[in-house]
Parts: sequence; structure tokens; C-alpha cells
Amino acid sequence: MTQPVVSAQALSKTFGAKRVLDGISAAAEPGDVIGVLGKNGAGKTTLLEILLGFGPPSAGSAEILGEASMRLSESAKARIGFVPQQDELLDILTGARQVNLTAAFHRRWDAALVARLAADWEVPLDRRIAKLSVGERQKLSLLLALGHHPELLVLDEPVASLDPIARRRFIAELVDSERGERRTVLFSTHIVSDLERAANKVWVLKDGTLAWAGELDALKESVVRLHIRARRSLPTDLRVPNALSSRVDGAHATVAAASWDSSQSAALAARLDADLEVESLGLEEIFVELHR
Amino acid sequence: MFILNPQSGTPIYRQLLEQARRLIASGKLAPGTPLPSVRELAVEHAVNPMTISKAYAMLETEGLLERNRGKPMTVAARPKPQSPLRDRLKQLDDEVEALVLAARQLQVTKRDVLELLDKKWGDTDDATGRQRTGA
Repeated sequence: MTQPVVSAQALSKTFGAKRVLDGISAAAEPGDVIGVLGKNGAGKTTLLEILLGFGPPSAGSAEILGEASMRLSESAKARIGFVPQQDELLDILTGARQVNLTAAFHRRWDAALVARLAADWEVPLDRRIAKLSVGERQKLSLLLALGHHPELLVLDEPVASLDPIARRRFIAELVDSERGERRTVLFSTHIVSDLERAANKVWVLKDGTLAWAGELDALKESVVRLHIRARRSLPTDLRVPNALSSRVDGAHATVAAASWDSSQSAALAARLDADLEVESLGLEEIFVELHR
Repeated sequence: MFILNPQSGTPIYRQLLEQARRLIASGKLAPGTPLPSVRELAVEHAVNPMTISKAYAMLETEGLLERNRGKPMTVAARPKPQSPLRDRLKQLDDEVEALVLAARQLQVTKRDVLELLDKKWGDTDDATGRQRTGA
């Protein structure tokens, strides 16, 4: 079995009386691109920060590249790239000076890659950082995190300020496995469409717990919305297995269900004496259903 | 070559799978045609390459694609349906269900639908003939 790049075991975090993370267990395998999805305040940033060892968990454990997150060696740190939600750029420097400063911290630095990305993403390196737009700052932070070819890239809301074109370019870069690199990416976002392109796995955080952790494809295949049209009034309790939500309105009902298997359709239609239409859902709809 | 919509409720690998099957079955992708590489498709559509390779691997298992050392994958010389009839019928399940539902809503009788089906079948007999005799 391959060793996970990131792993959390029964991870909890409380701030005072508030429990922000509650028993999170999940792992990222090499090459995984994992989208961490959650409402504002669901605990995404806290989870990423604890995984990176910025603070201790209240309970449970976190590991990165086989080392405890709170005691990462310098060599492990050199294999990680991180872009925080609030950038840590120095306003008084030009972009080029900031690049040089960051490069100095790394033994392995790909100046050619950084130059290419700066050109592709239209980041004006000659300008002072104080004069850059929010989007330009975000792009600069991203290319600084990519310059040392990290094995693990952790991004907290990496593209929130980017326009669709810039986001698209960034995702293309993220998914382009140059020279067969098996880079692992963990990124939090609330932009569901980006996640649907780039991620192979999703962690859905809800009230500090994982409402779903697994393959994006499996999630899409398992969560459906059933449209039920019966000949007479339906009972208010439909007893649909693994229902996430249900709304009954006379002879019509709409039910979102997890772990749905098309073989269940006929049995349900027969039991309710109804026509059944099965709607497959995009991630945004699934996200909404998981939060009803 | 493929139309991929990441926002759809149908996973990307499944969209690719279904389109490739259809293009190959209809002869629009002739045997020997090279397919874009995993990386090319991933970058073009800005989607995870693992998604593309998953679909390619399944198409290879189905005997529709051939892997060539150091070269792009190609459409297999003689696509042969290898899965049992029961499994292939299961793939039609959703479409048939949608058809039945639509017919009921339009108050079209089963006989009328079968007649239409028969006519359509005749129309496309040439295109699907090879697959059917292979069964």
C-alpha cells in the first residue's frame, strides 16, 4: 500500500467552546487532487492549517509525507507548497524581487517555470506589489508556490479573486502533470465548477465533520434527485432509503437520495404506485442537498 | 473530438466513455484512428487527467481502443462487444426508461412506439449491422 501524502485521524479542534472540527479522518494518496468544499465557516481553513502543522489539534493526529504535522522536518517542508487565503507578499518589493526572495529559501528552484507562468498568467513582475490588483497578487502567490516543484500543494481558496479566464489557465496548469510528476493537491474552494474540473476526490465539510470524502465520480453517481408523480396523494413519510431531503406536495414528491442504485427505481415506483424520474446532479446541486 | 461538461451530473469519464462508444459504433471513428493523448485532452478541457485515463482504460478493456507503445491509442481494428448481452442491455436502461416516460407523457401507445422503433432500426441498420452480428 502506498503511504498517504496527507492523513488525518479523528482530528478535532475546538476554539474555546466552539468545536470547529469534529472527528475528521481522511487521507490523500499520491497524485490525488482533492477539493475541500464547505460553506463559509465550515472549518476548511482550520483543517488545512492543522494538516500543515500551523497549530496543534485538540484531539486526533495529522501527518504529512509520513511525518507528524507539528514536527515536520526541513526536508519535508521543502516538498510542500502552500498558498494561504491572505497572501504573505511584501508590498514594498517588486514582483521580481519577491520571486528572488522566495527562490532563496529553496534549494531546488525552477526559474524558467516561474518566468513562463508569470508571462502566461500576465503577472507584471516589474511592478511593486503594493500596486498589484488582488487577482495579480493571487497569481503571484500561486506561481511562488509552484517554483520549487512541490510534491504537495495546499491551496486555501486559491482562485477566489481570479476571473474565469485566469482560473481556467490556473486549472490547466494544475492538471498538467509535467514530466510525469505525481503532485498531490489539496485545495479549499467554494467555486464548485473549478472543483468539478480539477479534482478526482472531494471532501465535503459540514459543521466540522466530513459529510462526504471520496471520489468525485462516485459522489455524482450515487446522489440523485427523484421526481415522483403518483396517481393519488403520497404519504408525508416516503421511507426512501438514504434520503437526504424530501418534499412531498400532494401526489408529487421530490427526494434527494444518496447511494442510489438504478435497480431500486422499479421497486420504489411499484411501492408508491408512481412514475419515477431520476435526475443526476451536478456538484453544486449535490452540495445544496447535502446541506438541507 | 469530445464534448465534456464538468458541471453535468454525469461524471466526465462517463461522458467520454459514452461518446467514444457512440462514435466508434457509428463508424465516425474508424478503426486505426488515433485518439488524443490523456494529457492533451486533460489540458484542452482543463480536467483531471486521471478522469481521462480512467475512461481510456475502460474503453481498452471493452476492446474498443488499442494501446500502442509510445504512440497514441487507436480505435481497435475489430471492435467486438465482449460484455454479456445482459450488461449491454443494462446500458440502455436509462434511455429506455426516458423513452417510456416521454411516450406516456405524450400519450403515445406502446404499439406506436414499437412501430417507430422498428422504422428507426431499419434506417440505421447499416451503421449498426457489424456490432449486431458480432453479438
